[in-house]
Amino acid sequence: MLNDIITPDLFASAIRMATPLALAAIGGTICERSGIVNIALEGMMLVGAFAGVVASMFFGNAWIGVLFAVLAGALMALIHAFASITLRADQVVSGTAINILALGLTGFLMEVIYGHPGTTDPVARLLPLFSASPSGDGFFGEIWRWVYSIFFSHTPIVYMAILIAIAGQWALYKTTWGLRLRALGEHPRAADTVGISVTRGRYSAVVISGALGGLAGANLSLEQVGSFTENMTNGRGFIALAANIFGRWTPGGSYGASLLFGFADALQIKLQLFRDVITIPSQFFLMLPYVLTVVVLAGVVGRAVAPAAVGKPYEKG
Amino acid sequence: MAGKEAKRMGDRLAVAAENVGIPFISVLIAIAIASVIIWIAGFDPVAAFSALWKGAFGSGRQIGETMLRATPLMFTGLAVAYGFRAGLFNIGAEGQLFMGGLAAAYLGIVLAGLPAPLNIAIMLVAGAAVGAAWAFIPALLKAKVGAHEVITTMMFTYIGRYLVSWLVTGPLKAEGQIPQTEKLPLESTLPRLHEVFAFFPDSRAHMGFIIAIVLAVVVWWILKYTTLGFEARAVGFNPWASENSGISVSATTVKALCISGALAGLAGVTEVMGVHGRLFDQFSSGFGFTGIAVALLAKNNPIGVIFAAILFGALSSGSGTMQLEADVPSKLIFIIQALIIFLVAAEQLAKWIVGRTRKGVTESA
Repeated sequence: MLNDIITPDLFASAIRMATPLALAAIGGTICERSGIVNIALEGMMLVGAFAGVVASMFFGNAWIGVLFAVLAGALMALIHAFASITLRADQVVSGTAINILALGLTGFLMEVIYGHPGTTDPVARLLPLFSASPSGDGFFGEIWRWVYSIFFSHTPIVYMAILIAIAGQWALYKTTWGLRLRALGEHPRAADTVGISVTRGRYSAVVISGALGGLAGANLSLEQVGSFTENMTNGRGFIALAANIFGRWTPGGSYGASLLFGFADALQIKLQLFRDVITIPSQFFLMLPYVLTVVVLAGVVGRAVAPAAVGKPYEKG
Repeated sequence: MAGKEAKRMGDRLAVAAENVGIPFISVLIAIAIASVIIWIAGFDPVAAFSALWKGAFGSGRQIGETMLRATPLMFTGLAVAYGFRAGLFNIGAEGQLFMGGLAAAYLGIVLAGLPAPLNIAIMLVAGAAVGAAWAFIPALLKAKVGAHEVITTMMFTYIGRYLVSWLVTGPLKAEGQIPQTEKLPLESTLPRLHEVFAFFPDSRAHMGFIIAIVLAVVVWWILKYTTLGFEARAVGFNPWASENSGISVSATTVKALCISGALAGLAGVTEVMGVHGRLFDQFSSGFGFTGIAVALLAKNNPIGVIFAAILFGALSSGSGTMQLEADVPSKLIFIIQALIIFLVAAEQLAKWIVGRTRKGVTESA
């Protein structure tokens, strides 16, 4: 039976499930590195997922859907930035408002556009980038099946997420942009003193995080499912925040932590196929990613150090 | 001396005016923005809001329905407000509510046959305890390792919901096709208001409404006059200073989040005992999350929670009529909720607008 569970597609599925978490987690990393808490990733993903499906329907092109998803996520983030940077509102409260707004707005527009609640009509999905199907026998055939599933069976945003993680890691530590971003989150006053605009820097970080959240939403709706269902993010924005913490506020770490959560999700989906053999109710499998999140937070938080100025509004002295 | 007294009185009035005024203006602005959204979506805002008003306050029965919807929101609003006072954001009131409901649905059957007052008392206390227990692990993680309660209580909400989903489809499922628990016997339910007082004879409002108001006063008293409440407020205001003056921040954090959980648990208990008489998967329409808006609108004042809950209860009970008569999707009330949270949270907004116009005026002059 273990042979039926540990298959190439389990790992491929883990990478797929990790993608929305990783994109949102990297968004969280960039946002928190600039000193702004973003618990609104959940809402930004949800709005992105919805905008993507609607735009894909109107224009008949999934890529335009992706573009609108990214824009919608960035727009929600702009509201968060305005509230928490310009108005110096409580960032967690502003994030909560965004999450509720996202739930209400997508539900409301769904009924206005589609005339019913629940799930939208299916739209064109983004298809896997490489369409070769693995064949061949024997040892090499087996190897090729593993390699194909894990590396070549994915849709475009899955690869984009990996590139973004690598580019993000490089940018955060090797570029002036990254240095400035880290300064904003650690010691905004010092950054201000040497002529870095705290407001502008934080605005751009929040908007980038929203764009990544929107892209994560597009992955959910336009790649994984092909339609939008109300509240389809299902807490992923919060799991992504945990992944960001577990990844110690680095893009690479966020991606790695998301792989862990993605694997948990892939495993629970796989195990549900064996309901006849494993007589554990499906609800316990569905709990797995959430339980894992709590366990991970309990285990690592004490040793992971958040950016010093995160959550504190900056007032020019 | 008299002048000083008068000045202090004046200051108090100014604070009170601000505490009532800002929420009031926020609600008005939120309704104005929502009207624009309704209009852009191609509906008639006037028809929408008059249908909403009719649905919320149009008759005795409708007023009762508003009270019915306000009841769980008072409990969850108090829960979130108590947490905020101690510097904790209990975003997972929904999960604690589910666990409180679970306790009531289970005990209500087990206790069948006992006298009603005893039954009701046991169920309320047990439901509160289970709600507190569901907040305990996040509380402990917050106090001991600093795990943010926003993530942990949210995760516990999902875990609790799946637990309830399993129990109502499996071990606690009643006979029949529908996944729900058995109907509670009469002695395990809360009487309706019209059975005790003689008003709104055909409304579904139940005694939970009165219990919630009494509890709001109790919570207000705890915060204002007890050591427990003082410590919670001190830690919420400044944890470092509190620790230095001998208050244990971690103990206070655990206590405060558990009390918050207990209050949220009661929302689930009274929904099961007063409204549905049983537990099922969808028995809460996000009361735990709306509780956040209630607490913020009330500026975390327990007495304010009563009024804020009635407002959101009215939006909820009126939204059905709005959908029916003006075709406006009832999801609109979530948008209004979010707008109110924004506007209350961003008190600076008014100052910012004033500052801008002033700047503009001086620059152009």
